[in-house]
Amino acid sequence: MGYIPMGIGYAALAIKAGLSPIQTVSFSVLVYAGAGEIIAVTMLASNATIIAIILTNFVVNLRYMVMNTCVYNKATKTSLLLNVLSAHLVTDESFALFSLMEESSIWFYIGLALISWLSWIFGAIIGVLVLDLLPIVVTNSFNISLYALFVAILVPSIKENKKIGLLVAITAIINVVLQFVIGNWSLIVSTLVGALIGMEIIDDDYLLNDNDGVEC
Amino acid sequence: MLIDQIYIMILGCAVVTFIPRLLPAVLMGKIKFNRKVEKFLDLIPYTALAALIVPGVLTVDNQLWYIGLIGAVVAAVLSWKKVPLGAIVILTVIVLISVYSVVPLL
Repeated sequence: MGYIPMGIGYAALAIKAGLSPIQTVSFSVLVYAGAGEIIAVTMLASNATIIAIILTNFVVNLRYMVMNTCVYNKATKTSLLLNVLSAHLVTDESFALFSLMEESSIWFYIGLALISWLSWIFGAIIGVLVLDLLPIVVTNSFNISLYALFVAILVPSIKENKKIGLLVAITAIINVVLQFVIGNWSLIVSTLVGALIGMEIIDDDYLLNDNDGVEC
Repeated sequence: MLIDQIYIMILGCAVVTFIPRLLPAVLMGKIKFNRKVEKFLDLIPYTALAALIVPGVLTVDNQLWYIGLIGAVVAAVLSWKKVPLGAIVILTVIVLISVYSVVPLL
């Protein structure tokens, strides 16, 4: 599972941002959103306000509403209780895996999603336990792991659709420029502005019909 | 004071992340997004990742900005060559540890 090294990478950043070991692990248990968590601790490290961090998390994690809509449209043998209990476990990876599988039982999904959640928590626990003991160069090297994941998620889409690459470049530039003007709010603003620009430059067909082959 | 703020951040993020996850679970398929909204929400992960990577990746090491750049390039090349995600993460970390071992010589 790639989630364990990523969890370690997240823990490295969280500790660096000033979270205690308990806070670092509870964040992974309670929020369970790799990108959201890393944004939060990165913003915290650069003295962002708590309100800015929470709002940014809301925007970045809003996509789980779409993903869970797909998951519960597909899942069979469900009940309200099972849905509510498993709602917390959706991530980009668990959603993508389940959507692409023939298996549609909610129990199968819960098994898959639960293992991912536990691996993510386990990674954070290993991170807070061992990072103190490791030389600083190793800790710094783990800092790259989530960025490596982000790059690795983006590259296949860019390879497939060059306009996604263009959108990524535009958004990155907007973010860099805005940082000088509005500081830490630039992440949320450039994400939203970038998506608005994307409405114009990305073809509907690419996103809506060819999204991992998933129809919801 | 700072400690209290971190707990507020954890709880706040937990709540705003859980609500969008919970809604479809309770409504069980009664939500239908119009295509424009769906497209906008679909685009957010791409733009959020872009904004996350740049310029944050350059601060992986506060002293040596190019460390993060090397890592990003390694991850991009591996991903282009269709290496699995978990392997990309591990290999990139290993490459950076190796880079650090030669940094004093540069």
